[in-house]
Amino acid sequence: MSTALATAPLRRPTAPGTTARPAAPVAPPRIEIAPVREQRRARPRAVYAGVVVGGLGALMLGQLFLSIALSDGAYTIDSLQATQKEQARQVQQLTEDLGRLSSPQNLAENAEALGMVQNANPVWLRMSDGAVIGTPAPAQGAGVLSGTGSQVANHLLTGLPLVTQIPAQSATSGQPAGTSAAAQLPLQGPLAAPTTR
Amino acid sequence: MTRRSSRRRMAASALALVAILAVFLFRLVDIQVVHADALDAEAEDKRSIPQTILGVRGDIFDGTGVLLAHSVLRYDITASPKTAVKSAVTPQDAAERIGKITGQNPADIVAILADAVKANPDSDYAYVAKKVDAETFEQIRALDIPWIYYEAHPARTYPNGAVAGNLIGFVGSQNEAQAGLELSEDSCLAASDGREVYDSSADGVRIPGSTVVTQQAVDGRDLLLTIDSDLQWFTQQTLASYAQKFGAAWGTVVVQEVKTGKLVAVADYPTVDPNDVDATASTDVSSLGSRAFTAPFEPGSTFKTLTAASLLDAGLATPDTHVVAPYRYAPSGADVNDSEYHPTWNLTMTGVLKESSNTGMAQLGLFMPAQQRQDYMKKFGLGQRTEVGFGGEETGDLHGDPADWDAQTNLTTMFGQGLTTTAVQMASVYQTIGNGGVRMPVSLVSGCRAADGTVTDTPTGTGTRVISEQAARETVDMLENVATKGWLASQVRIPGYRVATKTGTAQHVDASGAYSKSYIVSLAGLAPAENPQYVVSVTLADPVKMNTSGAAAPIFREVMTQVLKQYSVVPSGSSSPDLATNY
Repeated sequence: MSTALATAPLRRPTAPGTTARPAAPVAPPRIEIAPVREQRRARPRAVYAGVVVGGLGALMLGQLFLSIALSDGAYTIDSLQATQKEQARQVQQLTEDLGRLSSPQNLAENAEALGMVQNANPVWLRMSDGAVIGTPAPAQGAGVLSGTGSQVANHLLTGLPLVTQIPAQSATSGQPAGTSAAAQLPLQGPLAAPTTR
Repeated sequence: MTRRSSRRRMAASALALVAILAVFLFRLVDIQVVHADALDAEAEDKRSIPQTILGVRGDIFDGTGVLLAHSVLRYDITASPKTAVKSAVTPQDAAERIGKITGQNPADIVAILADAVKANPDSDYAYVAKKVDAETFEQIRALDIPWIYYEAHPARTYPNGAVAGNLIGFVGSQNEAQAGLELSEDSCLAASDGREVYDSSADGVRIPGSTVVTQQAVDGRDLLLTIDSDLQWFTQQTLASYAQKFGAAWGTVVVQEVKTGKLVAVADYPTVDPNDVDATASTDVSSLGSRAFTAPFEPGSTFKTLTAASLLDAGLATPDTHVVAPYRYAPSGADVNDSEYHPTWNLTMTGVLKESSNTGMAQLGLFMPAQQRQDYMKKFGLGQRTEVGFGGEETGDLHGDPADWDAQTNLTTMFGQGLTTTAVQMASVYQTIGNGGVRMPVSLVSGCRAADGTVTDTPTGTGTRVISEQAARETVDMLENVATKGWLASQVRIPGYRVATKTGTAQHVDASGAYSKSYIVSLAGLAPAENPQYVVSVTLADPVKMNTSGAAAPIFREVMTQVLKQYSVVPSGSSSPDLATNY
């Protein structure tokens, strides 16, 4: 810094030997340091301080908001995870119900309760020439369970009613409106069959 | 103020400063070094929560993709008794509402809490209900009782109940494998739990980014069986109905695919419902597994098929080989007779099978040295466990070294007495004969499927030739004549299909080792006989109300009919060959 300092031109004292003018009080010479233009420009200004303080403030605010967002996200994640757990439980419950209902014991008991019987006399229709293989005969009476009842235990079916034991009211109330009404309409004319060649 | 006093003050201040610093330093070392571990742990405990990540045990599927064993979560409902008795929600009030859901008596629930507090006033833990399902759990949770807590446990459910329960087995209360395939295939099914630690806030919310998984959970793989659950159900239902009708002690039915050796149904009666093991365990522990694998018995006359096939293969006899079969045949040191008195018959080998003549078979069997006969038995897979390796599976007993056989054993082993086999082994003998003499490895498990779909542990599928194709064909032809001309012809007939069968009525060894008055009756057969696709082998032990193989006939017919129907086997369209049975 010191090398950049320049001094203001000094006022020369009058040369000795010249005619002295009337003596006037001589002011003592003043010496002062004068900054150059660059130095004046380099001087800190209030705006800079403002920028720094403002920047720091913005940073802190940003961090605050980020932290708020993060902890808010944590609560969202927490509640979503709780929902996911609940839904996983529902899936489990429904899978278990489906498994129980589609077990062969349940299907057979319901089918036979509805009057279905098995035909132990298989007859085949050969597609290539339409030949009927075997002698068609109506099923003779019995289902697989008839007489003996279900012999293959399934503890999961305990207390599960057969479709025929469910009161008609609750059976139809479960159906969407419209289908139940349609189901009660008597069939008019022949059954519609697709024309397949 | 003198210079001296100022110096003294400075020294005092410095000393005080050093003393304070020393105190700080001591505390620092005390906290950071001496008690560091304890404090760290305490801090961890306060905010970090360790948690077990449950690994899920693999499911078991049948050959058609039907779920047979499924991993689920069950919930224990627990309570803090000390809080409960002081709570605004009184135990009485809560118990009534919980009882309505679980079906428990409210008084019992109140008693659980009261007893716990009586035993220990600070009691903070008691079970209200164990292992409730998700629906019950949700309902209890909805009650919002402040002193009720929950714990989830992995458990197992078997949607089809006792269908294949004899094969699948079951797990214990801690979900540990205990029996059947659950046990023998545990290496495929088992999962391992993982562990994670996370930090939580004061209100229990997980702090993001704080979760550290210290050990990954590994889910078990799925087990795929060859069993067809629908057919398995039908077979079990039919077996159980007839076994009860005839008063049998136990029975088995094995259905095997001829071309592949796959077991599509293995029914046992009585059997276990893996959902309710106690119901069977409390009355009949011996019925918890599969007797088809674990109960060897003397097969009796169904074994004559094997002797005849061996003779044909070795070129020592033909279906038309003549033999004079008296009621009693007693060469030196031996004495065998037929089941009922009859005048002496002139039989062909086909006739010997049709009449199931012990005396005829004993004479034919003498054409072959005993050692060679036993070698054939071993090639048919007898005397050793099948490839299934079922838990507790028996090898059967071929009565040691044939060189040591006495004259009687030498003859009885020709018609299935004096040696033992399992029901699955006998089915495998018929599979070999039906498959042109090539024995396929018996399989019950078709693979172990990982989460990415890769299937391992698949059966090899390479067969071994036991007898020539011609010998196998001739044996099937003879068995067709047994089916069409034997005394059970009308009962094993399936309209439209050619069937090949052989019956057996074997004397049963009682606990003392002597032959008792009880019998094991059996019937094994193939259909359609012109190109066998399926083996059905029926065994009933001690059917007191019908002590002949006639008891097994309706089971065979109904199961075989169902098999042919279910697998869409086209009717034969030809008739059975007519072989001479006598001369």
